[in-house]
Amino acid sequence: MNNESVIKSRFEENGKVFETGAPVTGAVSIENAVAVGFGDGSIRFFWPDNDPLEVQAHSGAILSIASSNDGVITGGQDGRFLKISTNAEVEEIYNFGTRWVDNVAAYESMVLCSSGKNVYIWSDENDKPKILEHQSTIGGIAIDQNGRRIAVSCYGGVTLWRLEKNKWKSSKFAWKGSHGKVGFSPDGKYLVTTMQENELHAWRIRDKASFAMSGYPSKVKSFTWAGDNPYLVTAGAKEAICWPFDGKEGPKGRKPLCIASGGQQNATFVESLPGEKAVFAGFRNGMVLLSELSEHPNDVLIQNPTGSEVSNISISPDRSHILVGDSKGQILWSPLWEQ
Amino acid sequence: MENSSSQVPVTVLTGFLGAGKTTLLNRILTEQHGRRYAVIVNEFGEQGIDNDLVVDADEEVFEMNNGCICCTVRGDLIRILGGLMKRADQLDAIIVETTGLADPAPVAQTFFVDQDVADRTKLDAIVTVADAVHLSSQLGEHHEAEEQIAFADVVLLNKIDLVDQSQITGVKDRIRKINPYTKIIETNRCAAPLDEVLGLNAFSLDRVLEVEPDFLDSDHDHEHDDDVTSVSFVSDTPLDLEKFEKWFGNLLQTHGQNILRSKGILDFKNEKDRYVFQGVHMLMDASPMGPWPEKSIRNSRVVFIGRKLETMNLKEGFESCKSD
Repeated sequence: MNNESVIKSRFEENGKVFETGAPVTGAVSIENAVAVGFGDGSIRFFWPDNDPLEVQAHSGAILSIASSNDGVITGGQDGRFLKISTNAEVEEIYNFGTRWVDNVAAYESMVLCSSGKNVYIWSDENDKPKILEHQSTIGGIAIDQNGRRIAVSCYGGVTLWRLEKNKWKSSKFAWKGSHGKVGFSPDGKYLVTTMQENELHAWRIRDKASFAMSGYPSKVKSFTWAGDNPYLVTAGAKEAICWPFDGKEGPKGRKPLCIASGGQQNATFVESLPGEKAVFAGFRNGMVLLSELSEHPNDVLIQNPTGSEVSNISISPDRSHILVGDSKGQILWSPLWEQ
Repeated sequence: MENSSSQVPVTVLTGFLGAGKTTLLNRILTEQHGRRYAVIVNEFGEQGIDNDLVVDADEEVFEMNNGCICCTVRGDLIRILGGLMKRADQLDAIIVETTGLADPAPVAQTFFVDQDVADRTKLDAIVTVADAVHLSSQLGEHHEAEEQIAFADVVLLNKIDLVDQSQITGVKDRIRKINPYTKIIETNRCAAPLDEVLGLNAFSLDRVLEVEPDFLDSDHDHEHDDDVTSVSFVSDTPLDLEKFEKWFGNLLQTHGQNILRSKGILDFKNEKDRYVFQGVHMLMDASPMGPWPEKSIRNSRVVFIGRKLETMNLKEGFESCKSD
């Protein structure tokens, strides 16, 4: 889709482009690398100073990726739940056969995954997983900042599990409809989900007060947190929609900030720039913008449209590099700052 | 909007337990050499499918919060079709096997309601495998059997070697009364030509134009109120666009739950294009489909398949849409 008149961004000029041929399905930071999961079952580690390392892990697409103490964990369409170290050692944690491993998450040495309606938890002490059952297939899982609570979304809402005296106790946060991704706010006070409808839902955990964030023209596939307030930054519209979560009531009755307004198509992925009041937004046509969290933001072009949906944006742990991946498998790996 | 060539066709396979769905599935997988299929099966379904890309799923039907009371979709399909689209290898087709007692409507509605599903995949056809020996009694006993026939683009009338000719005729009459527009293929061991089962494009609006059903006279004998029947109307007088939109919108709002499928080709006054629509319950897909071909008769034809159609004043409603 690039035509001759397109002026390359500084990031495209200074960075490297890799055509992998397989859709980018997820990415995560590990040690000093960004690990990327692909639709052909491979993962690749990108380092600031070395060439990328490719590891063939799953057959079929990688559905979920997270970082643990000593490697990335991945769930795949081949029913395998794997741990892969940065020196390419692959360890199978569990094999679910013909059932997909849809979601994975980790906290220190605890790793968990979902397959079908169950969440499976492995802790240090025992080899056998602890199983948490749910009423329908699980849409998303998240662990809070202390590793004491697990949020599990499925049809009808979120189940919040708390570890009390070595037992997982559950509490229901109900809202009709099918819930996908789930996350905790950085202060651990709110739960947020994406929904099958074009909206997000949120609960204040203390009293289960809940509210919807709606008005999106398409499904919200991605959200993240940014700034000190903090803001919940969301994809799904032509701009990055940022809901303020400060104060007692959060965004209830307040207007969101709309930033990164240069895209002609809906945003499909958002990521914050750690330590800055700034947000990256990737769009359906492949364009990526960096925008400030303010009423009158300045936008910086990171990537011109590629013709394929942006499916991931990640920042390296040392904040030196940005990685942009799309649904056709193109990767842009570029220094983030002027050299 | 993606172009149709990048959309992977999805064939939905329905039919009661024991009718022969697995036999058909295994034929498709073994005979279509060099093609790559993903098969979505249910844990309560029949076993014994030999393919490296079998995905286990639970049939999870849920309501959408879109104000449409009968709008249910298959949540597992949204998730699995989305997952399959993340694969690096290109699939030639996806086949969804439903359990014997499944209602096909939520499957079809998933393709109308979910934008990601509609962008990347397309519903190719609903193929129902029916057991020639048992279909008649199943139709009397189970709602779902009627629905599976009503939604079928193709009915494979299987096990015909176990019944005589008069029984075959009887069963076929029964099928036609529910759904006169379905194609019936008589088979033993599901031995139908596969190009009559796959790649039918039955849900595209183009296809509505190609299938010229035999228009029945609309006086059927009703056995009881729960029977699924069909009616069709023709008008040689051009219709009034506004009147039609008002009547049809209102009809789907009030009676959408009982209208299983609707289709039509419409000739509106002062419009040079043909309008084509097709719907599942309350959901509808409609579009102008280019000018009327030369030498073709310009008229409007509509078809409804459903329950209690006689309570909806369909004939009067359709007639009232005629332009002055």
